[in-house]
Amino acid sequence: MNGRERIRTALSIQEPDRVPVYIHGINEAPIIGIGRQITDGLPDPKEFREMNDREKGKLLDTLFLIHENFGIDGFTSFEIGHEKIVDAAHVADDWGVLYTRSIHGLPVATGHPVQNPGDIDTFTPPRPDRNHLLLLDLGRDRFKGEKALFWLMRGTFVRSWRLMGMENLMIQMYDNPEFVHRVARMVTDYSLEQLDMLADAGLDVLVVEDDIADKHSPLISPRHFVEFIKPYNTELVEKAHRMGLKAVAHSDGNLWPLLDIMIETGYNGLNPLEPQAGMELKKLKAYCGDRLCLVGNIDCIDLLSNGTPEEVDEAVRQAIADAATGGGYILCDSNSLHPGVHPLNCIAMFEAAKKYGAGKS
Amino acid sequence: MEILKEIAAHVENGRNNEVRVLVGKCMEEGIGVSDILNLGLVAGMNSIGIRFRNNEVFVPEVLMAARAMKSGLEMIKPILLKEKVPSKGTIIIGTVLGDLHDIGKNIVCYMLQGAGFDVIDIGIDVPKEKFIEAARNHGAQIIALSSLLSTTMSYMKEVMEAVRASEIAGTVKVIVGGAPVTQAFADEIGAHGYASDASGAAEIVKGLIG
Repeated sequence: MNGRERIRTALSIQEPDRVPVYIHGINEAPIIGIGRQITDGLPDPKEFREMNDREKGKLLDTLFLIHENFGIDGFTSFEIGHEKIVDAAHVADDWGVLYTRSIHGLPVATGHPVQNPGDIDTFTPPRPDRNHLLLLDLGRDRFKGEKALFWLMRGTFVRSWRLMGMENLMIQMYDNPEFVHRVARMVTDYSLEQLDMLADAGLDVLVVEDDIADKHSPLISPRHFVEFIKPYNTELVEKAHRMGLKAVAHSDGNLWPLLDIMIETGYNGLNPLEPQAGMELKKLKAYCGDRLCLVGNIDCIDLLSNGTPEEVDEAVRQAIADAATGGGYILCDSNSLHPGVHPLNCIAMFEAAKKYGAGKS
Repeated sequence: MEILKEIAAHVENGRNNEVRVLVGKCMEEGIGVSDILNLGLVAGMNSIGIRFRNNEVFVPEVLMAARAMKSGLEMIKPILLKEKVPSKGTIIIGTVLGDLHDIGKNIVCYMLQGAGFDVIDIGIDVPKEKFIEAARNHGAQIIALSSLLSTTMSYMKEVMEAVRASEIAGTVKVIVGGAPVTQAFADEIGAHGYASDASGAAEIVKGLIG
């Protein structure tokens, strides 16, 4: 099997030849740290936007090399080119959402253009732009069907709160539910149109990125989730399926109170399964392993940051033992390979997946 | 008193207008503002806090309750000040430098306000000097630090060290919380308190000040 077949098989809750490996997200620093084990000429870690064209090209090539050298089965892409720099501390996306960069470079949505019902009457949403799919095109051309192509698409909750402000969205769920539905309708129409472009571009797996929980519980009630989020994300999942794609839900946090609803939505997989949020693999496998492919759970908060390669090896062995029997498990970290993870621990994770994953699905 | 129980129930259920009407009625009837505060508004927030902790309600319900509580509090605040009703304590709260997230910190604010404390929210991306300056200026007993990210959590240690080296050491206690923060981390940096959730923060503060 190649990587694409492996991923699609696991997402169909069937047994691939080995447990597939996937990187959901990876920052510049770990690309460079891991990349230095396999290639020369990488710059010192810095943000992509601070790199010159040669450095950007090298970083991207290194990301591809990591996938090739370590047998990563799926490649993640996402929209690029949809943001404009406002000033040194701010960028704005094509919806008009303003993001403030912290001193660590992480942008957080701080300016929300659709705060009142009146705003939406005069608001003109953007149209999806084919040029923003460049990363998907590059991945497709590089891997030529050998690896599954994933796309991170913001879900209804995240797109809505970025437009409205999170507290405002939550208050409006009570004060003006019709307004919340209008915003959800608007962002979903955009996503559905973009999905046509993605399918034409060769996408395999739609990841609906819709963070909606913290480590204790979902942010909103199951009732509100059913009313304001599920119908819209279901449209995305159903359209993806009609186009022959798989669909994976991504949300940090404790999703147990929403799990049945997410299964009803029709997702093929669930990511990232944070161990600190009670998303235990063994328990999940027993509860819904026959209906949902489990994607993730290797702890990136403590283990990949502060652990040893031996501890990572053991965690991967345990994860595969807990979740891979009969298929339906894709090995992945518990959120992303962020700047704090140790490159050698990431490599230990990739290698342990192959060591323990072969013939164990 | 039945009307105070009704206020508490309306706060808990996020019924802003009903709270205002009943608080107004209490004031007309000469019911003491301390009772309105503690047996009405604080009691309602206390109930929602317990239900939030038990995952029976979620963030929107807490926001609605907090809005109802604040609308009542605004009505009685001038009288609380005039009658010099003593504060339960003053808390400086902020998200630490490098971190721009605010919803977790805001919910803790509402819970602390709902528990009857004076809360000075100094915002997000707050440097250590600003925490100390605000604590000094407001005569605070507690500094509460929030962080959503493991990359910014380490700054809490710098704040702790700055507080220990300042003139407010010994008079101000520091509590920490946020998604990546644990009791072990709080112990490691020498924080005086750690809460894993917003209603827990109110309990910790009651223990430290009370």
